[in-house]
Formats: sequence, structure tokens, C-alpha cells
Amino acid sequence: MFKLNLKIALRNLWKHKSYTFINVAGLTIGMASCILIFIFIRYHLSFDEQFANKDRIFRMVTYWKYTEGEEFQRGTPRPLPAAVRNDFSEVEQAGAIQGSGGILKIRDESGKEKIKTAEDVYYVEPQFFKIFDYKWLQGDPQQALSNPNTVALSEKMATRFFGDWRKAVGQTINFQNKTDLKVTGVFENVPENSSIPLKVVISYAGYTNPNLRKWGSVSSSSQCYVLLKAGTELVQMQAQLRAFAKKYNSDKEVGERKYFLQPLREIHHDERYGSGRGTMPMKQIWGLGIIGLFLLITACINFINLATAQAIGRSKEVGVRKVMGSLRSQLMVQFLTETLTITVFAVLLACAVTELALPGMASLFRGNVTFSLFAHPVIFVFLFGLVLLVSFLAGFYPALVISGFNPALAIKNKISSASSGGVGLRKALVIVQFSITVILIIATLVVLKQMNYMREKSLGFNPSAVALVDVPSDSLSLERYAGLKERVLKLPGVLHASFCSASPSSDSNNMDNFSFETSKERDFQVNTKQADEDYFKTFGLKIIAGKPLSKSDTLKEYVINETMLRKLNIPDPQQAIGKYLNISGDQKAQVVGVVKDFNNLNLREAISPIALSSSKIRSTTLAVKLQSGALMSTMPAIEKTWNDVFPEHVYGAVFMEDEIGRYYEGEQVMGTLFKVFAGTIIFISFIGLFGLISFIAAQRTREVAIRKVLGASNLELVHMLNGSFLAMVFVANLVACPLAYIFASKWLSGYTYRIELSIWPFLIAMLVSVVITLITVSVRSYQTALKNPVDALKYE
Amino acid sequence: MIKIENLEKVYKTEEIETTALNGINIHVKEGEFVSIMGPSGCGKSTLLNVMGLLDKPESGSYKFQETELLKLNDRERSNFRKRNMGFVFQNFNLIDELTVFENIELPLIYNKIAATERKKLVNEIIERMNIVNRSGHFPQQLSGGQQQRVAVARALVTKPKLVLADEPTGNLDSSHGNEVMELLCELNEQGTTIVMVTHSSHDASFSNRIINLKDGHVISEKVNKGRTEELI
Repeated sequence: MFKLNLKIALRNLWKHKSYTFINVAGLTIGMASCILIFIFIRYHLSFDEQFANKDRIFRMVTYWKYTEGEEFQRGTPRPLPAAVRNDFSEVEQAGAIQGSGGILKIRDESGKEKIKTAEDVYYVEPQFFKIFDYKWLQGDPQQALSNPNTVALSEKMATRFFGDWRKAVGQTINFQNKTDLKVTGVFENVPENSSIPLKVVISYAGYTNPNLRKWGSVSSSSQCYVLLKAGTELVQMQAQLRAFAKKYNSDKEVGERKYFLQPLREIHHDERYGSGRGTMPMKQIWGLGIIGLFLLITACINFINLATAQAIGRSKEVGVRKVMGSLRSQLMVQFLTETLTITVFAVLLACAVTELALPGMASLFRGNVTFSLFAHPVIFVFLFGLVLLVSFLAGFYPALVISGFNPALAIKNKISSASSGGVGLRKALVIVQFSITVILIIATLVVLKQMNYMREKSLGFNPSAVALVDVPSDSLSLERYAGLKERVLKLPGVLHASFCSASPSSDSNNMDNFSFETSKERDFQVNTKQADEDYFKTFGLKIIAGKPLSKSDTLKEYVINETMLRKLNIPDPQQAIGKYLNISGDQKAQVVGVVKDFNNLNLREAISPIALSSSKIRSTTLAVKLQSGALMSTMPAIEKTWNDVFPEHVYGAVFMEDEIGRYYEGEQVMGTLFKVFAGTIIFISFIGLFGLISFIAAQRTREVAIRKVLGASNLELVHMLNGSFLAMVFVANLVACPLAYIFASKWLSGYTYRIELSIWPFLIAMLVSVVITLITVSVRSYQTALKNPVDALKYE
Repeated sequence: MIKIENLEKVYKTEEIETTALNGINIHVKEGEFVSIMGPSGCGKSTLLNVMGLLDKPESGSYKFQETELLKLNDRERSNFRKRNMGFVFQNFNLIDELTVFENIELPLIYNKIAATERKKLVNEIIERMNIVNRSGHFPQQLSGGQQQRVAVARALVTKPKLVLADEPTGNLDSSHGNEVMELLCELNEQGTTIVMVTHSSHDASFSNRIINLKDGHVISEKVNKGRTEELI
């Protein structure tokens, strides 16, 4: 029986090739999109899942509540880990991890320099490895990292440095041209889906920093992880953390500081704190999941519509089978088998399409992610589930309708389209499908418009053609700064150059407590940036009162921004000039100028109060403004000059515009995904529409012929056939617009700088849907209207 | 074999009620060939559908070899139908997607006959119907007469006790029509009970007894002497 059913199914599919194509194409594309989305979501949900104690691991994070606003900080004060170990009996382990970077040099046996490379490194306490069970290939983490000047390497790094990781232990690595580190351990490579990409781990015992004992200074690169004892009540623990914060906070700090325990599995998804290597917020994952579901529903709707429309054609077969003794359940099984056949076929094609699309997807995520269809068994479970779900969603209703035909009517071809069920349902489904399509068109337009706005919005400074070149900050290098700047400025194509701690807009920001005029600390923090006298010229910043910073190697004066003035309630910029600003209690100087506001963070966030000052020792970057046409020729010259000046260091440079682009990587990815999936949904919906109108036109051939004989013009006939579709599209727009409006306003509210939601995306979506419908439907209706009525009537 | 008593069937729409069968009483003996005749709308096809368990009457009794069939549920009706009845339709009702062989095989599959046995039975009937060289063809590739032969073969392959034929020659020219009627007579001679609905008195002349219906009533019954004598 199954064989026979399959045979009928295949022959039927072959007979109605065009409908089969529409069904298979729609399902294939819908399912391929779903598989891609699943692979993507699975990857992001797999972050930090590999640790045995993952449910008990937390990251301590810092939070400030100010009278105006709040601040989220993934870092904690450097003395915190030791204090947590001391104060909490519920904490099984607490370990500090300090992100840093520097030059690593490896010499061969003869003492000749073999490898010189700039790498991210982490200073890590041994306790960290009691929290996270990384697999160690050589050495024991508790001993290997207990002494200063020891280092452990990942397998890949060890192999890169010493040819074979087994030979790494006992070797020496020079760090920052200063310290020799002894390799004491090798651990397994950390997978890509990890929030802490450990490669080079230096013993925390050797870490030095002036703020090592300061509770007031918090940097996002100083983090603390804890492992709670099993059974610890989180609520109780959070309450104790409030007391803990009070105990160690300075009385002078006016904003309220709190510490929270952030569960390990939330790190990759919580953009408020960030992870340092990109987060994927759950709302985006949900958003994608919903789009996946939409795609699937749209494809299933095509299937249901065409299957129920075609049902009349199958009525004779159903009648005959029933006369021969087939039970309704047997018929249902038969029709579900047909759907299953198509679905299995479509899923196989979808796998092929997915494989073709994976490289594109990997490049969309900038190659940080490797996707593979067959690497994870869970994908097969998903595919299996997908096939069952689609077969059921798409096949159940048509099977129910078709198997329910009255045999006495069916064998005489007396089943009408009304009794075949679903004229109303088909209309409802088309409306649902179009609503989804219209919502996605609107969403895509809004996302793209917002992205465009962010790209084009004036940031308050000019980021174009500015290269940010890393500079070393050890004492020896500091002495060569002047020479470097002088030589770079002489290069053709270079306009300005400035040493600074960061560009105006940067994702690395220092926030500090401060007092203004009086000794009382203010109830908000200030973003501090260090820069030399040419910073303003280099980035095109405008001074609105006073003057820019003058030349100095150490703190001499401050330039503050307009936001700072507003927060200090100073209406006239001139009033600020000459006043004293004291940052962190020990950096006091006069304000000499006020700079026009510029965006120091990304456009999702508001501008911070900013204080700029000179400090050669805190420079990390040489910003070089180039002539816009001379980028390609000047950059190699800068690199050569740099290497001449710092032969023992490693050159690194980025363009300011690329850096800014990086802040909006998430939005760009979302924008691209929206474009692709909206395109896909439009395609699926409209091939479905084409199928449906083809079918309806074929069914109404006789009616059209009779009307034509009675004198209807072609245009009137096209109008008659199109009418109901246009009405459906119109209703779909009515349903979609309010929903899209709610979604879009909610999404936009996440941006401080955002577009006003205008009527245009809605009108455009309506126009697009109506025009495409009109074209799709008219082509088919016109063909029907053109037919010779005599043929149709004779045939009937 | 068949005892139908006081059968009533009413078709209801929102506005009107049409009585298709109004107290029908019919007896059919085993081995009989009965024709049912009457003008359009007299209830012939409805009666045949009820006899074939394709439709349910409002009231009355329908006994088949002493089994009351109107009390059966859907599943039991299906099972009874596939074991005891064969159908021949005016428009053949072959499944276009199946070959001649597969069409004939279909009722055997529903009767859960083993594959080897099915093959044997189908081949036998194909030979008997003289359509051996057509067994791999699809219905559209056959003439009307050939299609009706296939339909008859399909009706007979399960060796049913009763064959119900609904205007079996209605879509055929006279030579093909005669061919089919002769086929039915031959079957009847071999012992199969046949009930046939027809408009054609020529076709009816092949049967033993002719029942005339009008407005849902049996208005006359006539024994076809020529045919009966021939049989004797």
C-alpha cells in the first residue's frame, strides 16, 4: 500500500509539475533559511556551555546608579577578588583575570630573535582554573601560575612558538621587551564559542598596576569570576553583596555603586555589560527565531493553499478509493505521505542550499564563526523535527479536507470548490501570509533607514582618513615619541598627527569620579581622555569657548565638553573657563576650554561628560590625519617610519572609520539578515500567489468563457479575477501596519539617536505589496482572459 | 440475497427538502440480473448508492443475506463493501495516475491480499477481459470501451457477490456498449448477482428483471421473459 501511495504521489507531483515546483521551491527556501537560522542560534546558545560547573559560575559586575542615569561595567575594582574570597563563605572560588596585551618575543637556541608578535594576554589567578575546568595538556594550573613571571600557552600558541607544544614547557618568552616569562603549562585550545578567548595566560602574581589596591578605579579589563557553593541562594547572596559594596566604597562617591553576580551563560547575551568579544542579545536571537518561524509558516501556507485548491482535482481518486473500501484514516495517511515525500525532498534540497549559503553567512559574521551543517548531531534532530513539523503543518489540513469527501459525490465529480473546503480559509491564509510579508518589508525599511542614519549622522568630529597607529608606552619608547611624530608629519599625504589615549569615539573608556570647584565629589562620573595639543586639529573637534590643550607631557589643564557643562548646570561655557577640576582626587587642573559635543560612544548611547587632558605616559595611539586620496600610498610609509623608530615592537594600525563601523557590526548583520529574509519571504509569498491565481484562473476558465461570450472585455475579466486578491492584500496591510508600528517603535527605542518613524515605510510596503500582487495576478488573469471562449466551452 | 424494505432518503438544503426514495421495497435473488430504470431524478442512482453503502438512507431496512447493513458504522460499511461488492460507473472512474494493472490491483490491496496472490488474480482477470497488452498503460491511453473493461475487471477481481453498475454504457458508443453488456451477461451467467441502473431499454433487455422508478417510488416490475427463457 505504501509503495502504491508513493507511486501515486510521485506521479501526481510529476503531472502537476508547476505546482510541485512552487511547493518544493517555497519549502526548500523556507527550510534552508530555517536551517541557517538554527545553525546561527545554536552557535550563539552554545557559548560557555563547556564547563562542568557552568551553573554555579558567575561573573562579578559593577553597576552605578546616578541621579541621572546608570552605568553598567563588566569590570570590578582590582582588590575585589581577594575581598570576595575573604568575606563570603558561600563562594567556593573567586579568581581575578586581567586583560592586557603586549609584545611577545621568542628566541632560538643561539639567542637570535625567532618570533616577535603582538598578542592579547591575560593575567590570571590560579583560582580561575578551579572555577573553569580547562583541560591542561602539560603542567598543573595551581602550581604553574602561582609564581610571578610564569606563563601558560594554548596548544595552538605553544605549537606556533616552539614548533611542538610538547617542547614548550621550560622555555622562555620575552614580554614587552622587559620581562622573561617561563612557560610552565600548556592547555587545550579554547573553542571559538567562548567568552574568554585564553591564548596566553600570565601569572597574576607578576601583575603590577598603580590601581591594584584602589576601589575607586574600575576598568572593564579587570574582571572577577566566582564559583558559588552548591545550593547557595542567589537572592540572599545579592543582599549580602549590597553590604559588601557599602563596606568597601568610598564615602565620597555620590553615585550608588552595586555589585552583581552575572550568570556565566548570560555573559554572551547581555549587551549592557558586554563580553569584550561581541554579544548576541537574546532579543536578537528571538527575533531571528521568529523570522525563521515566519518563513516556515509562509512556505506552509503556500502548500496548504495549493493543496486545498488542487483537492477538487483529486476528488475522483478519493471517491474511487472509498468505493473500493478505503477508510478515511487510510486516505489521510496517503495524503500525509505525499506531503512527507515533498517535504523530505525539499529538506534535502534545503541542505544543499544551506551548504551553498554557509560561506556567505560566515563572511557576514566576518569569519569569526565557522559553521558546518554536519558538525553537530543536534542539527539532524532539528532537520528531523523540521520535516515532521512541516509535513504536519502543511499536510494535515488538506488531508483532512480531501479524505472527508462524500464518495457518492466525489465519483461523479460533484465536489465544488466550496465543499472542498477552505475558500474562506484560503483567503485567511493569504491574508496572514501577506501580513507577515508586509511586516517584514516595513521592518527591513526601518532597520535600513536607522542604519543609514547612524552611518551618516555627524558624530561631532571627522573620522574620515584618520589612521589610529598603536604606540608602545614603556619609558624607552616614550622618549622616541617626538621623533616619531616629527618624521610622520614630514611624510607626504600626512596632514596632522596626535598622541592620545583613545580616539574621540572608542569602545575603551575610562570613567572616573571627580570634583569641580569644591572638594565634594559629584554624583556622576566623567569620561577621561588623554591627548596632546594636536588632537583637536586631527579629529576636527570644535572649541566653543577658551582654547584647546597646550603642549605638555603631563597634566596641565583640562578641556571639557558641553554635556559636562550641562550636567554641572553651567549655562555659559565661558563661566567654566578657569575653574578647577579634580579627577580621582589627585589630578587637579584648570579648565581652559570647552569642546563642542561629540559622540564618544556608539549612537545607541548618549554622550558622556568628558574631560580631555594631556598625559604623554598614558598615550597608546598616534592618530594620523591623512589626505583623503593618499591613504594607500601613505600607510606603508608610516609603517616603515614606525618600524624604524620602534624596531623591537610590532606595528599595528586601523582606520577610524573601520573602528566606528565595528560598533554597528550587530546592526549591519541584522540589516543584511533582514534584507535577505524579507527578500526570501517576498519570493515565497509571491510564487504561492502565482500558484493560487493560476489554479483559480484554470478553475474559472468556463466562467470566463461564458462571460466573454456575453460580452465582457479582457480588461473587465482581468479586473474580476484580480479583485479579490487586491482586497486581500489591502486587508493584510491593515493587519500588518499596526503590528509593524509597535515592533519598529520598540526596536528604535533602544537607540538614543534614532530616526523618527514616518509614514513612508508603511506606504512603501503597501505599494510594493500591491504592485507585486497586481503584476503576479494580472499576468495569469490576462492569459486566461485571452483564451478563445469556444475552446473552453467545447472542452467543458 | 437482498431485501430492501420501506427505504426512505431525503435530500435537504436550506430551503427545500427533496424526497429521493419514498418507501422503496425491492428483493433481489442470488444470481439475478436486475435493471433499474426511470426518468432523470427518479432516485435510481440514490438507490444504487444506498445499495452500495455509499450513502445512508433516513429510514428503512437493507438486509444482505440476512445481515442488516443500515446498522453498520462507517468502518464496518467500508469493510463490508470491499469484501462483497464491486462497482462499475458510467465515467469509468479509473485513477489516472495508476496503470491498468495497478487500478485493477487496488481493491485487492484494500482487501489485504498478499502480493503474489494479487498478481495471479489480476493477471487472470486481465486475460479474461482481453486487455493483456494494455496492462502497463495509463487510463488516458485507452479507448472508452477499453477503460470500461478495466473498470469491470476492477469490479470483479475481488470476486464480489454483488456487482452494482451505474449506467455502464452511458459514455460508450453502441458497439463498445454492447461489448460491455455482453461481458456483464457472461458474468451473470457465471453466477454473479448484478444490479444495474440504466436509461437505455436496450441495455435493460439484457437483464432478467426491470424495476421502474418514478419520484422515489417503485411503479412497476417486469420480468424480462426473453432473457429468462433464454436462461432456461
